Amino acid sequence: MHKKLSLTPYLFLTPALLVIAVFVLYPILAVIYYSFTDYDIVTAPQWVGLANYQHLLRDATFWLALRHSLLYLIVTPTLIILSILLAIAVNRKLPGIQVFRALYYLPAVSGSIAVGITWRWLFDTQGGLLNGLLIWLGLLKEPVQWLSEPAFTLPIAMLLTIWMGVGYYMVIFLAGLQNIPEELYDAAMIDGCNNLQKHWYVSLPGLRPQITFVAVISSLAALKVFDEIYVLTLRSGGVLDSGVTMVFMLWKEAFRLTHAGYASAIALVLLAITLVFSVMNIRLQERDTGAV
Amino acid sequence: MRTKIFALLIVTSILLGACASAATPAPVEQAPATIKETVVVKQTEIVQQTQVVEKIVEVTPTPGPNPEAVIEGVEPNAELTLWTFWLSPTFDDYIRSTIARFEQTYPGVKVKWEDHQVTFLDDYRNAFAAGNAPDVANLSDTEGWVREFAQKDLLLNLSDNLPQEVIDQYYPGLFNLQLVDGKSYQVPWYQAVAVELINKQLYEEQAGLTADEFPTTFENFPELCQTIKDETGTLCDLRIAYTDILRDMAYQGGVDVFDTDTQKFTFDSPEAVAWLQMYVDMVKAGTLDRNALLQEDRVGLDLFTSGRAAFYQTGPQLIREVRNNNPGMYGYLAVQPAPVGKSGALNPTSMAMSIKADTPYPKAAMALAVFMTNPRSQLEFSKLVGIYPSTPASYDDPFFTQAPVAIEDQARPIAKDIISKQADIVPEYPMPADVNEFVRQAVESALYNNVPAQQALSDAVAEANALIAE
Repeated sequence: MHKKLSLTPYLFLTPALLVIAVFVLYPILAVIYYSFTDYDIVTAPQWVGLANYQHLLRDATFWLALRHSLLYLIVTPTLIILSILLAIAVNRKLPGIQVFRALYYLPAVSGSIAVGITWRWLFDTQGGLLNGLLIWLGLLKEPVQWLSEPAFTLPIAMLLTIWMGVGYYMVIFLAGLQNIPEELYDAAMIDGCNNLQKHWYVSLPGLRPQITFVAVISSLAALKVFDEIYVLTLRSGGVLDSGVTMVFMLWKEAFRLTHAGYASAIALVLLAITLVFSVMNIRLQERDTGAV
Repeated sequence: MRTKIFALLIVTSILLGACASAATPAPVEQAPATIKETVVVKQTEIVQQTQVVEKIVEVTPTPGPNPEAVIEGVEPNAELTLWTFWLSPTFDDYIRSTIARFEQTYPGVKVKWEDHQVTFLDDYRNAFAAGNAPDVANLSDTEGWVREFAQKDLLLNLSDNLPQEVIDQYYPGLFNLQLVDGKSYQVPWYQAVAVELINKQLYEEQAGLTADEFPTTFENFPELCQTIKDETGTLCDLRIAYTDILRDMAYQGGVDVFDTDTQKFTFDSPEAVAWLQMYVDMVKAGTLDRNALLQEDRVGLDLFTSGRAAFYQTGPQLIREVRNNNPGMYGYLAVQPAPVGKSGALNPTSMAMSIKADTPYPKAAMALAVFMTNPRSQLEFSKLVGIYPSTPASYDDPFFTQAPVAIEDQARPIAKDIISKQADIVPEYPMPADVNEFVRQAVESALYNNVPAQQALSDAVAEANALIAE
């Protein structure tokens, strides 16, 4: 039996497809094209073939940025562990627990620029809260210049990412916990589990879909980190490029040094890395859920 | 009873009368308007000069040639776009009144004004990419913006297009800033005079120093910063302009950074090493606030404004930020001339007006750029804020010879002398942004990674020379 082709669904799809074509597809194709050109934004791009990619291989800053971006993935397991612990802590029927949940969620809805500026004050050399506290406790004699100390740039940025993300992921895990049937916990108690074992044997397996989901989105966010570095280092990338990540380098090459062609090549490499991570995560998710 | 009703009627009528008079007040005689003293400015308008321009009153133009109409052959009915850098909303009235005067001077020409702020440079680049760059733009000479766009043939060569008598109205050292192939692509606008702002509470009361004896050269800074740290526990708020480090090296250290004959970089000379070593020694001694050293001006200014630095070099026009943000410290401010580097030259802090090369109205655009920067316009601007004109004629006004009252005006009587001596001593060299990256990495390696200053600079010179040879 021959099925008649209907144009109606395609007509309904057309507006959305047009928007995607203009704002997603065209920029992607443009970036692919620019990555093979010498383009300074203000004058016409010049075709240079693979020169940008060859330069990437020789560019020490690119490898440093790649290393920093991969190192930044440390935030993913940290976020998962802290968010689960926090979700378990607030998954109780206590008076006022909603207030605590809202407070933990607050950083997630705060603007990253405002939060970054606040964190700069915390780590400020003269008058910063951390230095003041450490000196008051007698642990420091002189203030430490935290934000211009290369060893501290990435860890401080990671702490900021974790602080901002933990409340958001907590909500996801909280929803997961509340979907676990109470009977399973009762059965575990009857079997002699203590509180820790109860969560180890019931909560964690029950949260596996959420863990996979959070792992995917938080690792992708970590690979694309920019705001934290931008604000904490005041657009410099940190002393000795100690905070330069892939996206920060991309931004700097495009808008500071006007190497938009080279920045496009970096963007495509980042896209490839992100795709690999996404595919890995999806495969893991499929394995966990038993999907084929 | 009748008496009571009558009394009630009387009371009611009184109340109604009162209500009626409250609801419909009798016309009040208009109070006579306060007549402020006004200054009649040539022929087109009257501008009251107080802290901000308060009012613009148009008067009938007097007949005769307009001395401000200095460009001939302006395209009729030209429609120009003008971009300024971070002047709105504080100076909206000034900009609008100047544009209005321009439109009266060149009838038929219309100006559309936009002020762009922190994203100015990105916006300007994107505007060229989109083909809608403004005809006239307020570019920064100091940040190297003019040269960036002129080197790409995007700006109009003003050395060859402006009449000589117009060029002559500017200080030569300022008209010849940011030359490309020996040609100027800008007319200089307002200037800042670099001064040292001193927090007397820290500098005098705590450190026991005297503001009037502030060092006149950079060589004294290591000792000064050590004293301040020892006595006050605060760090020195020095800054290397991280977007153009070679400029600071040239002015402060007297370094010849580029040899125009051989087209090679030379910033690894003994003078350059000595300049860098001074900063290395101060970082090692822990007397500098590293957060401000290779950062934007804003960081250092905030440190100073919040009372955490004994002194800071900036323009006097930014004293208003101290006054607004920390009024308590304003009373403890002292201002001293900024130290002169080994070059002996003064580094211009200059804003400019440039014109895009492919404007359909080159004459009108030049007329606008010149009008905004002419002696009268700049004089009026100077009266609003502590900036200084690039035109010698502006200084003929008694305003510049009056004894200053406010601390932010202390540089006014010496401004002409300073501005007239400012000159660009850094030669044009290719790929400045890329070269600056090599220099920044070299300087940071020496400051924070224990790489010897000589080695760091020699490596950067080799990289920079290799880059421009490609």
